[in-house]
Amino acid sequence: MPMVLLEGQKPGAWQLLKNGIFSENPVFRLALSLCPAVAVTTTVANGWILGVAVLLVQVLSSGTVALTRQWILPQVRIPVYTIIIAVWVSAIDMTLAAFAPALYAQVGLYVKLIVAFAIIISRLEVFASRYPLVPSLWDATGMGLGFLLALLTIGAMREVLGNGSLAGIRLLPGKPLLFFALPAGGFFSIALLMALFNKLERMAATRHGRPAAPRAAAGGSHG
Amino acid sequence: MNPTMDRGQLLRITRNLTVVCILGAALLGAVYVGTERYTRMASLSAEKNSIQQMLRLSPSARVLEVRQFYSVAGSQVIYQPTPLGDAGAQARRLTFSLDGMLLSDARGATLKPQGTPELAPLGRVFLAYEGERSAGFVVEGLTQGYKAKIRFMVALDSEFRIISVRVLEHEEDPGLGAETATPLFCGQYGGRTAADLARLGVTRDPMPEDWSQALKQLELRDPGAWSSAYGALRARENARPVYAVTGATISSGALTRGVQSTVAHFQRRWDLISRHLGGA
Repeated sequence: MPMVLLEGQKPGAWQLLKNGIFSENPVFRLALSLCPAVAVTTTVANGWILGVAVLLVQVLSSGTVALTRQWILPQVRIPVYTIIIAVWVSAIDMTLAAFAPALYAQVGLYVKLIVAFAIIISRLEVFASRYPLVPSLWDATGMGLGFLLALLTIGAMREVLGNGSLAGIRLLPGKPLLFFALPAGGFFSIALLMALFNKLERMAATRHGRPAAPRAAAGGSHG
Repeated sequence: MNPTMDRGQLLRITRNLTVVCILGAALLGAVYVGTERYTRMASLSAEKNSIQQMLRLSPSARVLEVRQFYSVAGSQVIYQPTPLGDAGAQARRLTFSLDGMLLSDARGATLKPQGTPELAPLGRVFLAYEGERSAGFVVEGLTQGYKAKIRFMVALDSEFRIISVRVLEHEEDPGLGAETATPLFCGQYGGRTAADLARLGVTRDPMPEDWSQALKQLELRDPGAWSSAYGALRARENARPVYAVTGATISSGALTRGVQSTVAHFQRRWDLISRHLGGA
């Protein structure tokens, strides 16, 4: 069930984590930030690195916004959020370049792109700007974990099918379905996994004796 | 803009955004100051490793970095030898006139590789020594590619035969000019002597299948094993021109001319400076 929160209501930590990972999973449910989800998930390792970076930026940005929301004027909140995200991304970018140059050579380009990820700014707008620090941090962690897990799943599927290996360990000889490693295969992987996600959620809902919530196509026109 | 927005509101918005920008800039500045030293150390050790790999040096090898500058005003060429990674505040400064006369050999402030407005950088040269014996050179080069400048390094043995060419930075098109940065293209320079290189041309003929198979193995195999497996093939190909990347004749030609002029210049400069480098 998508969580409907009312102003002033105090959501619990577990509820917020579950919301980010399952009910409002950024990739499979909200269909946000699909471009990077397709672009980097050719292997599990790539998905892992970007997922961790997004989790970090989301937690830091949500925390910053939750702490400073009373001073941010509503008219200029979007540019202010963008600056906050950009500052954290640049700080992480410089830190990676200094302390993990080998990793940075591989992922430097993707890390800079996080500034434009729709999922991060949408959580600032929807959640962190309306709730205190602690729930905002849990929401950010849940969303970050949801994104990370989605990237890992897509990455695993594409690496096994497209490259015959998992996390760099060769499982199958050759490349079973090279198509899945290519960009078009990324879209197919996400569609298949999203369908599976819907199916699992429906099964879980029926088991609990609740009818499955009607599911409109998620509005994912953002990067 | 909202018509009801008054002057006070406008002022508050300006103040709000200004404060955010100043705080953000201050934070980034602090992170930059904190990480800059480590970033420099990391890029230096990457450079050291790549020189060590290209020349197949032993860990005990000594590498000397020579920074080269051209002074437009004085029509002079300046060489500054420093031990790699340990450029002190002061370094030797060898100044030559354009016709190759040594004008002065003094100590002066160590110049940054990027030069100054008066001193244009002419690239760096790395001289490797195993004990007292020369173990080859790595010369930094720059050439105008199809889009932007291509920065590369040429590794030479002590007889000026090319060991390898490595492209460091480029902005060529993926799938076309960018392919010149791969071993499949760069590998073609290996084994050519300076004299061969001076005459080297670029052909648009397709690369023979056996040679492209050999070049694909270049980075996968140990250099010794590669030479014993494909040495004869390389001897055959070194007598032929370089095969251009399909659809990227301009980039292929640019890199080839860049390697040619970089090696030719270095050879001339080496004749000048080699006898003055003892004890640097």
